[in-house]
Amino acid sequence: MKYVVLGGAALATLAAALLVGPAHLPLADLPGSAIVWQLRLPRAVLAFLVGGALGVAGTSLQALVRNPLADPFLLGLSGGAGLGAVAAIALHLPGPWALPLAAFVGAVGAMALVYRLGLVGGAELDPRILLLGGVAVGAFAGAITTAIVSLAQATELRNAFLWLWGGLSGASWTLVLVMLVYAPLPLAVLVAAARPLDLLALGEEPAQYLGADVRRLKRLVYLAASLLTAAAVAVAGVIGFVGLVVPHVCRLVWGRLHRTLLPTAFLTGGILLAVADTLARTVVAPRELPVGIVTALLGVPVFAFLLRRWTVS
Amino acid sequence: MRRWTVRTHLAGFVALAAAACARGERAPVDAGPAVTDDVGRRVTLAAPARRVVSLLPSFTEILFAVGAGDRLVGRTAWCDYPPAALAVPSVGDGMPPNVEAVAARRPDLVVLYKSGPNVTAAEQLERLGIRTVLFDLNQLEELGPAARRLGVLTGRRAAGDSLARAMDSLTSQRPESPTPSPKSLVFLVWDNPPIVIGAGSYLDRLAGLAGARNVFHDIATPSAQVSIETIAARNPDFIAMLSDSGLPPGYANRPEWRVVPAVRQGRFLFLPGRLFGRPGPRAAEAVRELRRRLEAAP
Repeated sequence: MKYVVLGGAALATLAAALLVGPAHLPLADLPGSAIVWQLRLPRAVLAFLVGGALGVAGTSLQALVRNPLADPFLLGLSGGAGLGAVAAIALHLPGPWALPLAAFVGAVGAMALVYRLGLVGGAELDPRILLLGGVAVGAFAGAITTAIVSLAQATELRNAFLWLWGGLSGASWTLVLVMLVYAPLPLAVLVAAARPLDLLALGEEPAQYLGADVRRLKRLVYLAASLLTAAAVAVAGVIGFVGLVVPHVCRLVWGRLHRTLLPTAFLTGGILLAVADTLARTVVAPRELPVGIVTALLGVPVFAFLLRRWTVS
Repeated sequence: MRRWTVRTHLAGFVALAAAACARGERAPVDAGPAVTDDVGRRVTLAAPARRVVSLLPSFTEILFAVGAGDRLVGRTAWCDYPPAALAVPSVGDGMPPNVEAVAARRPDLVVLYKSGPNVTAAEQLERLGIRTVLFDLNQLEELGPAARRLGVLTGRRAAGDSLARAMDSLTSQRPESPTPSPKSLVFLVWDNPPIVIGAGSYLDRLAGLAGARNVFHDIATPSAQVSIETIAARNPDFIAMLSDSGLPPGYANRPEWRVVPAVRQGRFLFLPGRLFGRPGPRAAEAVRELRRRLEAAP
């Protein structure tokens, strides 16, 4: 039932994203319009895929570190991506892929560093150290980024930040294809880990006794969720709040079992980001809002409402 | 931002009223140059400034244009016109100003663009006993008043007035031949996300004077983020970009950008940053250059 509702909502969202936009197109012109095929449709699909990826990454990371405040970008990834983007512009790397690739490399670099820090206590990945290491690596990358921007005398460097927070303005079929090829593997890894993630909620030792390979699980989940987030940054920049709020909304509505939680988080995250992006490009037309603002404006009231309703009952 | 502006204006107003009262009590002793700057402060010098630091390329150009270039003892790294400006020591990029580097030039006047960080820097310089002026310079209309006051402060009143008259007459003129269908353009600052120039920038007026129409004239701020779709819907005849290389931009071949007809047809105007990147005494030259390029284009 919930999948029918969510699937219907997803289709309605995509349809709305195709129908509305700053350009006024007569309904009859819609099927043949380049604005629909080259701009609105790839942008809506990309928003859906990125939102879904962030929803799933957030859900898995919150389960992994057993901390409700975990966010895919909390673990140093946005800092690393920013450093990569600024470095690409400072080094004048050519080509349309320089910026997204450099951001991806930066995010993966930060991820590797945090991963290594998480292992300092031994062979076990320590969730507390993952969180602290993520914050520290993020701050460190942020400091280097700021140093480059303030020391190098190039106005283009400021544009690296525009790009990083720019959201889905640069959406294209190529980026949709990148996500479609890339995302299924980490998504499959996370969905396959649904049952052990449920056990992990009981604590690491009980999960181990109940037959979960906790050590391997933590490594796989951390790497898959981070790689998913890194891809989201590369195609759409840093988009806040989806990965934080969507898991909680899904947990409040559909319960704590990851077998349900992960698919619903994907659909809910996709719907949230696609709706937010449609609003971002239409409500203040001809201007455009950064999509992260809209995700927060939509996500927080829904979250507060659910929190109130569920904690009262 | 607007509230901030209102507040500084109010503060300036109060300061002005206080200054007026003070003047009423005792007559000014010296007859040195005096102007009111754009935060409303009355700036009085004992004598015309002899050691000036300019913290905006436009002010550097104006100072040279009124014949006060020899008074310049400091400039920003961006001040590259006229060529003689390059002989003046640089005090950094000016964003925000390096107060120590500015003070080390021992100026008797520092000219700053009115912005939040610059107001703070001006206060710090004043505490060191260095006089400062803060001027607005977003619109072509602000060139005249800036030239007039810089002329007064450097003892080049006649030259300042004459430059100001030239600037004022440029901005008060109607476009030469208001053609029934003027060519339209968009000033594209950055492609991802797309940032365009609105009516709050001097470039909007520059286009109008050259007989073209900025398709984002309805946006009141100097610049704004828009979507590719909006640019496609407004369908400008030309994509104008500040570019010294004149090479087609990287986005020109991407399918999402080729939805914009002007991109598909390669109708780009590459405007050299040295002439178009700032408002200044060469605004009339910039207008002529833009008109020439618009007419030369197919």
